[in-house]
Amino acid sequence: MFKSLLLKGRTLCLLLCCMVSSLVVTAQTRHTGKVIGSDDKLPVVGASVRIKGTNVGTVTDINGDFAINVSPGNVLVVSYIGYGTKEVTVQGTEYITISLEPANSTLNEVVVTGYTSQRKKDISGSVAIVDIADAKKIPTTSSEQLLQGQASGVTVINSGAPGAPSTVFIRGVGGFGQTAPLYVIDGVQTGDMSLVNPNDIESITVLKDAGAAAIYGVSGGNGVIVVTTKKGKAGKTTISYDGYYGTQLPLSGNVWHLMNPEQQSQLAFRAGDKATEALYPGGAGVIPTYGYHGTTGVPVFGAAGVTSDPNILQYYKFDASNPGNDFLVQKFATGAGTDWFHTVFKQVPEQQHTITGSGGNDKSTYLFSLGYVNQQGTLISTYEKRYQARVNTNFSVLNNHVRFGENGFVTYKENNGGYNGSFQNEGSLIAYTYREMPIVPQFDVGGHYGGAYDGPTGEPLGNGSNPYAIAENALTNNAHFVYVQGNIFAEADLAKYFTLHTSIGGQLYNQYYWNLGYNPYYDYESHGNPNSASENEQMLSNYNWTNTIVYKETFGKHNIQVLGGYEQKESHGRFFSASAQGFFSLDPNYVQLQFGTPVNAPTSTIIQPQATESFFARLDYTYNDKYILGASIRRDGVSLFYPGDASIKDQQWGTFPSVSLAWRVSQEDFLKGVSWLNDLKLRGSYGELGYYGDVGGTNAYSLYGSGTGSTYYGINGGNNSITQGFRNTTIGNPHVSWQTDKITNVGFDASIFNHFDVSVEWYKKVVNGLLFTQALPSTVGGGGFPVVNVGDLENKGWDFSATYHDRVNKDFSFSLGTNITTYETNIVKENGVSPFFDTGGSRDANIVRDQVGHPIGEFFGYQVTGIYQSDAAAASGATYSGAKAGSFIYKDVNGDGKIDANDRTFIGDPNPKFTYGVNANASFRRWDLSMVFYGSQGNKDFNYVRYWTDFYSTFQGGKSLDLYNKGAIVVNGVVTNPGATVPAASYSQAMGSSAISSYYVEDGSFLKCRVAQLGYTFDPGVLRRVGIDKLHVYVQGTNLFTITKYTGLDPEIIPSLANQSGRNTSAAFGIDYGAYPNNQKQYILGVNLTF
Amino acid sequence: MKKYSKFIALGSLAVLTLTYSCKKLLNKVPVGNLSAGVLANKAGLDGLLIGAYSMLDGASTNYGTSWETSIDNWVYGGIASDDAYKGSNTTDQPTAAPIENHSLDPQNEFINEKWVFNMQAIQRANDVIREVPLIKDGSVSAAYGAEAIAEARFLRGVYHMELAKMYRNVPYVDESVTYGAGNYNVPNPGPIWDKIEADFTAAMNGLPTTQSQIGRANKYAAEALLAKAYMFDHKYTTALPLLTDLITNGVTSSGAKYALGPYENNFNAATKNGPEAVFNVQMTVQDGSGGNNGNLGADLNFPAGPYTSCCGFYQPSITLGNAFEVDANGLPKFQRDANGVAASDKTPLPTDHGYILASNGNYTLGGSTSGTPFTPPSQALDPRIDWTLGRYGIPYLDWGLCGGEQWSRGDITPYNPIKNVFYHSQQASTADNAAGWATNQATANSYNLVRFADVILWRAECYVESSQLALAQADVNTVRARMQNTAYWVHTYVDNSAPSKGFTSTPAANYQIGLYGAVAGTDFVTMGQAAAREAVYTERQLELGMEGHRFFDLQRYDGLYGGPAGSGYMAKVLNGYMATDDALLGGNPVLHGHTFTAGKNELYPIPQPQIDIEAGKLKQNPGY
Repeated sequence: MFKSLLLKGRTLCLLLCCMVSSLVVTAQTRHTGKVIGSDDKLPVVGASVRIKGTNVGTVTDINGDFAINVSPGNVLVVSYIGYGTKEVTVQGTEYITISLEPANSTLNEVVVTGYTSQRKKDISGSVAIVDIADAKKIPTTSSEQLLQGQASGVTVINSGAPGAPSTVFIRGVGGFGQTAPLYVIDGVQTGDMSLVNPNDIESITVLKDAGAAAIYGVSGGNGVIVVTTKKGKAGKTTISYDGYYGTQLPLSGNVWHLMNPEQQSQLAFRAGDKATEALYPGGAGVIPTYGYHGTTGVPVFGAAGVTSDPNILQYYKFDASNPGNDFLVQKFATGAGTDWFHTVFKQVPEQQHTITGSGGNDKSTYLFSLGYVNQQGTLISTYEKRYQARVNTNFSVLNNHVRFGENGFVTYKENNGGYNGSFQNEGSLIAYTYREMPIVPQFDVGGHYGGAYDGPTGEPLGNGSNPYAIAENALTNNAHFVYVQGNIFAEADLAKYFTLHTSIGGQLYNQYYWNLGYNPYYDYESHGNPNSASENEQMLSNYNWTNTIVYKETFGKHNIQVLGGYEQKESHGRFFSASAQGFFSLDPNYVQLQFGTPVNAPTSTIIQPQATESFFARLDYTYNDKYILGASIRRDGVSLFYPGDASIKDQQWGTFPSVSLAWRVSQEDFLKGVSWLNDLKLRGSYGELGYYGDVGGTNAYSLYGSGTGSTYYGINGGNNSITQGFRNTTIGNPHVSWQTDKITNVGFDASIFNHFDVSVEWYKKVVNGLLFTQALPSTVGGGGFPVVNVGDLENKGWDFSATYHDRVNKDFSFSLGTNITTYETNIVKENGVSPFFDTGGSRDANIVRDQVGHPIGEFFGYQVTGIYQSDAAAASGATYSGAKAGSFIYKDVNGDGKIDANDRTFIGDPNPKFTYGVNANASFRRWDLSMVFYGSQGNKDFNYVRYWTDFYSTFQGGKSLDLYNKGAIVVNGVVTNPGATVPAASYSQAMGSSAISSYYVEDGSFLKCRVAQLGYTFDPGVLRRVGIDKLHVYVQGTNLFTITKYTGLDPEIIPSLANQSGRNTSAAFGIDYGAYPNNQKQYILGVNLTF
Repeated sequence: MKKYSKFIALGSLAVLTLTYSCKKLLNKVPVGNLSAGVLANKAGLDGLLIGAYSMLDGASTNYGTSWETSIDNWVYGGIASDDAYKGSNTTDQPTAAPIENHSLDPQNEFINEKWVFNMQAIQRANDVIREVPLIKDGSVSAAYGAEAIAEARFLRGVYHMELAKMYRNVPYVDESVTYGAGNYNVPNPGPIWDKIEADFTAAMNGLPTTQSQIGRANKYAAEALLAKAYMFDHKYTTALPLLTDLITNGVTSSGAKYALGPYENNFNAATKNGPEAVFNVQMTVQDGSGGNNGNLGADLNFPAGPYTSCCGFYQPSITLGNAFEVDANGLPKFQRDANGVAASDKTPLPTDHGYILASNGNYTLGGSTSGTPFTPPSQALDPRIDWTLGRYGIPYLDWGLCGGEQWSRGDITPYNPIKNVFYHSQQASTADNAAGWATNQATANSYNLVRFADVILWRAECYVESSQLALAQADVNTVRARMQNTAYWVHTYVDNSAPSKGFTSTPAANYQIGLYGAVAGTDFVTMGQAAAREAVYTERQLELGMEGHRFFDLQRYDGLYGGPAGSGYMAKVLNGYMATDDALLGGNPVLHGHTFTAGKNELYPIPQPQIDIEAGKLKQNPGY
């Protein structure tokens, strides 16, 4: 290790030496000049003046003047927002006046496209540019949310949990496993951008096709999102403040559509369920007054006593240290019952503040920012508190020929720990808001939490848990994170046309989490459990080391840029956790693990180290601003795959080429005269990328391990001694390699009538050798199944974006932008013995079947066609064992006259037909108004919450009004309410009621008004008198409405952690296990201030 | 170009240096695991064998839900038969209900978990067999290697038998089946009893008669399991000499001669692994595993009484309670009518079902204080009843007088499980404080996979089938005679309010147990073969009640797959049970309205997920 570090150090020195020694020093003189607008002839303040091909530049001052050191022959590039970029070649020492033409298009915008940057008009690949001003309007703690609806081809699914990352797909779901794109933040490659302060972001571009993204090779298969952060600008020092304060409101009403306690008791009698009838000793519809449970030493009460006897109160006893002595009494909730959802979802404040300072001179620039975020979640105990600091600096020496600097930020954040998607399962706090029966009061008669423990006649009230108790107890859970990310870089011009660049960057991440487990005395089953505590720590680090050389030259009409590079990446990590139980006190200021009794030995995990090594090159060539060629090639080596041996070939190395072509038709003579056509570019590309999917570093190997609970055995007899054993832990497959994504892209960009920009693209992405865990029969044993190249996938779609913008007059201007994303996935091949595999867990069968000829993630189950109206009907025709009056009728798909597993079919596609975003902006004098809409059309949601709420046969808990109002009522084997759509209340039948079927599938289409913002900019003339450059204040509403037919909380559903390994696992999605809603209204008041 | 030559030279050097250094960069060895090579020695082999043993308890943190995979088969052998109800609330564990009432469909999660768990266990045993030839360091002698293989084949036989009992038509997975070989889509063309018998035969021939560690299988354990396989295979004449050898010569792994001691010792962690333990599954607690090596299969099966509130599953049936009634001769009322209903069900044992504990401390029917307080019945009962089920007013180990229905969750059945429950006084050493659903649910009570009484009663079956009825009677009487020892009965507490003070010598109820043939007309020869057969079956029901065997015994008896009791026997018995239960209990909500379908419900369906994954290689069982 030390040796290789030394070697790397030496190499770095060599490179640096060679940069410095190769400098070509030429004479420079200082030029001054002025920039004016061609329309009003007024000075342009803050225009960028840059020497072409370098980062050397300045900005014009308040009079439009600038001064810069240039050599004769240098080209100055002058740009300012709203004006076309102009290039001026410096001749001698003259004073230069540069007149900028107002621009109706942004063709000259420089776009960061990975290792290089290009003018928008020179781009031949598919690159979506996010309008950062629009994107930033949505208050968020996770910057990925900025992408939603802002770029065509990008599908973003957000969670409402503060700080939770989003699920991002570029051009459809590209695989069964991880489908998160690669994020490149100031040149540092990383897995997400959630921690970047939105106020620090300068630009976001999305590299969608191979022409743009293939330069990232095996890391770029899911698309690439390139983020740059703001840099200081030479000139005046500015300080700005951006902040808002607001409030967020929970969803209102009976969100789960639950019946009240009285209705629930009537249902028990309708079902004839003696055990449940016993909960209502007064009969159907009569709610007992008190419930109790406790030691036998206390007199017990008959049914009548429980209904009315206040004597029971005198026996109330709560013993925190010995729950065995408890005698708990609670008074039941009547009327509507306890609205559990609103015991834990509350209106909450939120705030975010960023102070940014920047400035510099032509030798150095700096930008620093300090950010503070405090967002309370509407769900009690969820919050995200962040303190962030960023420092970006640039220095230049040796007459600007050598430049170096850094970009970096540190984040310290706190939250409640572990809820990045964990609300999406049946055991979560949110799930308990429908699983806890409404008859249970929030508190018992002694002021302690109510729960299932003290039921009528001591019987349990279901196996739900008090969500309010869980939420309050969770307040003492804490997760602290320290996260550092950034890079340092050095850059040198070499000879006239070469620039050498080296950058070393990466991330350091440390998480510490502790959790106190309180005795759940309010639960029936775990009433006596001891308290507990656990702690864990995680440490991760990784680095990217990137070295590039760029050759750039213009001769005649030829414009050429060649990039060559070498890159390596490596990551390491460790994880540690320990727990104990039985603490004397759970005071968070007291608990240390050694004060309790350990139950399990502490565990530590070495996170598999990974490394990648790459060589890459790119060519960009433009002829006469008309014909554009881009080509790239990258060779990657990945440590995750088998390095090869005598009999098996090396699987680590892969090569990824791409080529793209563009033709700016509008530059041709035959179109020069067409005045309405401002610009038209046709382009196409083809290339290959790769992805290493969910392959872990042990994937190639069959390995063994042990665990006290999985391989140890008491072979000596006795009650307390065990002997170590081993088991096969992983089944290896050394023949696995990366998946290849072949992307074809054609499209055009046009600007017409000076007001209208449109871009349309069609793409096809073929994924060969898709990586996913192999579906194997259990006959192979219990080792973890390997990830293999399971099959091929094809995605096709259209990306459409258009903007109409107009300045109607001096006072009024507006723009309207929209983008539409369509994709169609199709699994074209699976290599296993079956042409499908099932995933998406439930209490019944798997919900999802990924099958050849179908899109990823399609729901699979029985097709409900009605309800059997009589026992006789249920016994004839295509039927199944246990079918009765009031059971579901299923479609006999294979027509064999009986209903069995072979009649399951595809019952819904969670992939939208299209998603769309609409951005509307208008300004009138000093007022500005903007709105952002986002929608998804044609996707189906699987409302798994109904498993718990709609069927009597599933666990006791909150039950839906649908079961009460639309449930079949069976008398003497005949349904007496023929319009019923929900199976009869019956208690032992999965088939016919809660089995996975089309009953759960709902239309998940929606349109959300994500933002409406009204702002006012104060008169700069007035402000200057008090030293302020700019002051903008606004009021904003978020999620003002959601239009949908979906009956759950929110049709926008993040993938569940219950599905396999993590948030990005996409083999199953669109399943609602009770997700944290992301359609809650927010109102904020914000300020942007610069001085 | 010349002026760049220096750069090019330096650049090339840099690239070369990098290429060299990065050869190592991509070489990342797998972390946190052992490679197969590390295990290729004696310690590794021993460890793999322990790993294969560790699946016996039917619970692993690696896979499965303990009560769905458990070897005690309380779900598959217990609640699916006339032994017990699922228990708890009617809608708790909703996927267990269709198993209880025979409306199971092949997608049920329970049956898939049971299947997968045992397949994993089989491959652990195969890992041992595959490892032996890889050991080249001389640490393992040929004899030691052969013994390890014999032990592994014993385990492989046990795990296959678990599957064969459930599904009958299962793939046989030997050591040649591996991922690497690609031959893992093993079909299920039919029963595999011959293969299981071959494994046990090899184990029997390769294992010593005693072992240094009591948890290991010895020759006799293998012989007993072989006999069990023959019983399932209906090869009574082949089984008979094995059973006789076991009864005559059999010793436990520690060398103790097989014998019938105190009945309750089989269900008490402090007295486990006694002379009756032909093969026991070892359970341990407080061993650093957080309870994970305890008897987790039964972790839901504690009464929802005053000392625990979780979880009230596996409640003994009314029919099982009735079966313990004895006639004037102390013999069971075992005769079945044409509908399969046992005579004992015709005169049901009074229970506290329907009585409610009133504020005056009395149990009264229907909750009205004017009713008659419930008192435990005084009629004569087989003494095994109160070691098999918790009954109102009878000492429940040392926890106090059982609360009957008030201790059952859901309050619809009067009995509570007891064989898996630990003594209060032994809680500190035989239960684990780790929290499952509740604390102390992991216990050190071992599971008796085969106990000596089992062996004796199998021989009785064999004798019945070979028409040696007197010999059959003698074996049945051996088992019954043990319970004539009043010291082995449940006795009253010295002080009902302080159970820890111990027991008197007064029987807790009117226990009587007689021997067949003691009174004229009650001997097997007089009764004839059919009645003798029924008497043996009933003896197994009583002796082994609540031990997870009943469903599989009924399946074995049924003529459908070659059993001697006539085709449809199982359906008749279970439909008779459900009809009786409906009448006696006023309709158990889970059973009500359901029937057992002959020709279908004798077997569990092959799990649909496995059929799906094996793409046509697995054939579904008839009727599903």
